[in-house]
Amino acid sequence: MRTAPAGYRRERLDRGIKVRSEDVFVLAGWGELLYRAGPRLAATVLLLVFPLLRPWTGEYWQTVFLVALAMMLAAVSWAFLENVGLVSLGHSLFFGAGGYLTALVALELRAPALVAVLVGSLAGSLTCALLLAPVLRLRGVYFSLVTFALPLLFSRIIEATKILGGTEGIVGVPGLGSLAARQYLLVAALLAAVFGLQRLLDSDYGLVLHAIRDNDVGVRASGIAVGRWKLAAIAVGSLPTSLAGGVLATHYHVVGMSAFALDYSVLPLTAAVLGGPGTMAGAAVGAALLVPVSELLRAFGTLRVVAYCALLVAALVAVPEGLFSLARRRYYQFERWVPV
Amino acid sequence: MSEVLSVLLYGLVQAAVLLLVALGFSVTFGLSGIPNFAHGGVYILSGFVCWYLLRKLGWPHLLAAAGGVAVAAVVGVLLYWLVIRPVRRLVLAEVIATFAAGVAMLELFRWMGLVTYEFNLPPVVAGSVTLGELAVDAHRLAVVAAAAGLGLLLWWFGRATRTGLALRAMAQEEYTALSLGIREDFMATVSVALGSALAAVAAVLVLPLGLISINLGYDAMLVALALTVVGGTERTAGLVLAALLLGVATVAASVVLGPHWSEVIYLAAIVAVLAVRPSGILGRLKELEERV
Amino acid sequence: MLRGRVLWVLASVALALGVWSPGARTAPVEPVVLGVPTALGSIEGADSLRAVQLAAEEINAKGGVRVGAVRRPLQVVSIDTREHEPGIPIHDALAALEKLLTERRPHAVVVGAFRSEVLLAAMDVVARYRVPYVVTIAMTPAFEARIASDPAKYRYLFRMGLQSEYFAGNLARVLGYVKSRHGVSRIQFVHQDVLWAKATVGFLETWARQAGWTVVSSDAYPTGATDFSASVLRARTGRTQILVPVFDMPQSGVLLKQVKGAQLPVAVVGFISPAVPATAWQAFEGAVDGMVQFVAEPGPLAVRALPKSVHFNRAYGQKYGEEMRMKLSGHGPGPSYDAVYVVAAAIERAGTLDPDRVADPVQRQAPGGVRRAAPGDRHQPGFPVARSWAAGGGVPGAGCGGRDPAARGVGPVSGG
Repeated sequence: MRTAPAGYRRERLDRGIKVRSEDVFVLAGWGELLYRAGPRLAATVLLLVFPLLRPWTGEYWQTVFLVALAMMLAAVSWAFLENVGLVSLGHSLFFGAGGYLTALVALELRAPALVAVLVGSLAGSLTCALLLAPVLRLRGVYFSLVTFALPLLFSRIIEATKILGGTEGIVGVPGLGSLAARQYLLVAALLAAVFGLQRLLDSDYGLVLHAIRDNDVGVRASGIAVGRWKLAAIAVGSLPTSLAGGVLATHYHVVGMSAFALDYSVLPLTAAVLGGPGTMAGAAVGAALLVPVSELLRAFGTLRVVAYCALLVAALVAVPEGLFSLARRRYYQFERWVPV
Repeated sequence: MSEVLSVLLYGLVQAAVLLLVALGFSVTFGLSGIPNFAHGGVYILSGFVCWYLLRKLGWPHLLAAAGGVAVAAVVGVLLYWLVIRPVRRLVLAEVIATFAAGVAMLELFRWMGLVTYEFNLPPVVAGSVTLGELAVDAHRLAVVAAAAGLGLLLWWFGRATRTGLALRAMAQEEYTALSLGIREDFMATVSVALGSALAAVAAVLVLPLGLISINLGYDAMLVALALTVVGGTERTAGLVLAALLLGVATVAASVVLGPHWSEVIYLAAIVAVLAVRPSGILGRLKELEERV
Repeated sequence: MLRGRVLWVLASVALALGVWSPGARTAPVEPVVLGVPTALGSIEGADSLRAVQLAAEEINAKGGVRVGAVRRPLQVVSIDTREHEPGIPIHDALAALEKLLTERRPHAVVVGAFRSEVLLAAMDVVARYRVPYVVTIAMTPAFEARIASDPAKYRYLFRMGLQSEYFAGNLARVLGYVKSRHGVSRIQFVHQDVLWAKATVGFLETWARQAGWTVVSSDAYPTGATDFSASVLRARTGRTQILVPVFDMPQSGVLLKQVKGAQLPVAVVGFISPAVPATAWQAFEGAVDGMVQFVAEPGPLAVRALPKSVHFNRAYGQKYGEEMRMKLSGHGPGPSYDAVYVVAAAIERAGTLDPDRVADPVQRQAPGGVRRAAPGDRHQPGFPVARSWAAGGGVPGAGCGGRDPAARGVGPVSGG
């Protein structure tokens, strides 16, 4: 971050401990093991332990934690779709679909809340995949514009036709156990999403997905049905967000047009861009930072949104690789000046 | 019969309004490939600037309008240098960054509390005109005239002036344009500033029809998007045709079905056109760029 | 270089925010906390909060609330739920409500939700947290319906203020007077697409048809709409004679402007909430000229027959200044002021702050309350004063003949 002194250049090298803990040598000692597993372990432990800290944090921060988990899921899902080249500017579509379908399953089919949430989120992500199927062949900006328009379209249709409760929304959605139960459900989902989706992206499937992002014509020329892969990617990628929408519906006992609000589209976007596009963990970290900050800013009302947007622009312009990637690089590598 | 006539007349006015609002965005996007999603923010910003100059400082109407346009152009330049240039050519980053800038502007106004009735602009031309059995504000007719005039002006600009041709060259073939000595940064700045100035002109003409309401900023963005998508960015004729279609359709829908349906129409039009003909109704298909 | 600087700025901001949280945690000694979670950005919400603070100050000046053996002062805490904004962000409003309930732990909530949609959604949250909750702004009848469906669960919820049915009833009397006096029969409703307005217009439409009106149309506009030409067109083709706007957003002033601009031969009789205060003429730049504006409650009006309203008016002006008094909104401040006294009295009667014990006395306040027609409905407490507020008691207005007490003409003639 500093400019090089005259006659020198910057050199980045892997840290010794990283090299020593690569591959099978990670088993050589506790230091190596902790170096590798440490960050992940620490994050997982923090997620699992936070709900137990209720007497110290108070009820309010526990609710914020729940909302943060939901947003982390949405951010991870956004980042996954971005890795496939499907940048969605309307992520609230998935959120709202999950919420509404959960409410419908719970109230119309009179299912117990847990079943409603699981079935509703699955149905939500499948519905969204089907909705987006006709436009999957669009690329880049054009696809994003459609995703931008769809949640707005649905909320206007709901407002105009008064289906699904109209402006009032669907009220009386049953609760899902206690707050802690909801939190742990989302923690489990988050861990599955972050680690599972990252694994998926690092595997051979992920190779195809990245190729679709980079050069879809080439992928098609290789005989792979790009459309079907994209469809599958959307179905899988939107599931975490639908789940988040469903669980929050049971928390607030209501689902309304506001589930399709711009807020739920901008936040995962900002979180993923801030944390680091490309990595699931980065998106989660970004959301984990943004949500508490946004709550702290609640007293400022709409200034909050101004702050998000300013942050987004700053992140895009100045820190395009994201905070998480920055941190990870610092963790694994060190820099020094060497003479040219 | 008079019902149909009034719907057509109001539809024409609405088409003119849509065209004015979308012109700035379309110019920047079509002429130089920059999707400036802060268009709605600049639109409302210039409305407030004009209001301030007119109401608080007491400038004459025309001067206040010119002030609004000037401020908008400056904001456009700033927008390019601070926000767009660092992420130039990364189309999605441009979209997101400008969109965030636009939302930031609009929500800042909302936080400042600029939402009451007092924030309105007076009509450019006062009074009403009676055409047969219909009475229409003179201002609305002025809007139609202005839209037609601006449309023609921009068409001429893009075809017959050096700057216009240079801008189009840059949008079509960046490297060739560069090799011909067309300076990219300067041209892009001109294009964004022009788009913002047009947004300001639209604001001064269109906002007197209602209030300077922050939601109109989001609506303006949506309208601009709808017209650009439906009409395509290649030809001004496409934009005009899209404006006429959407204008009459929304007015007819509001009268027949209800006021909610006007926004539904814009959004449905965006989705439908993108699904079927992404280049727009009059656009020539650029398949390799848009779809697999 | 840029990146480093940006990161430093981000880090400092984050640190500063972590250290300084605007929701201050310093608590005075054992006060009785009254929460006000409402749309503080709206004039009704802001004025209601001020009315609540006024009432709390008056009670504290007299020594506070007696809880058992101890006298404790009242403390008012509030949070802005932003629910009056277009798009009605219900989730956000509920999050704000929850923040208030969990962080500040109010012993009772007054004023409550601004939007009926948020109110209905908030009912379950309130039931979960078991806090006495007195609504004074939102007007939907669905509130009572839900309480009736599960009285045990919703026993903490009360309304002290108008309900759409009675609001519509009063407005109907004005319209009936206009009809009998001027012999008109073609009516058109233009309203905001929110629950209270929809319910009001629903009742009005039914009444109008029965009373022999021809209803040209009933147009709903989303909150934040600024173009009402569709209604103007329909009014022209349908030859409307009476236009009834029912709005709480300031953009509705544009409707009045457009009606004038199109030179429609209609008389405007209705309720536009921001046009109620005496300053409406300037605020709307004369667009309200000729409109007969219905006033929901005599909060902004001092009615000699209701001495408490005179006192309220004067005290409000003394505390907040004459300009604020002139700008008092037509819906919310009056009942909110009363609600504080009701809650204080209930606490004193119960002798404790336990929500279950407080809920009962709130219920048993003066008989009848606002809903005169429904004895035995114990969820609408109110002093007899509140009852007659809703029934009218108003100022004869210019242009209305003075016979109907519930209407007030707006124009340069009428004063504060």
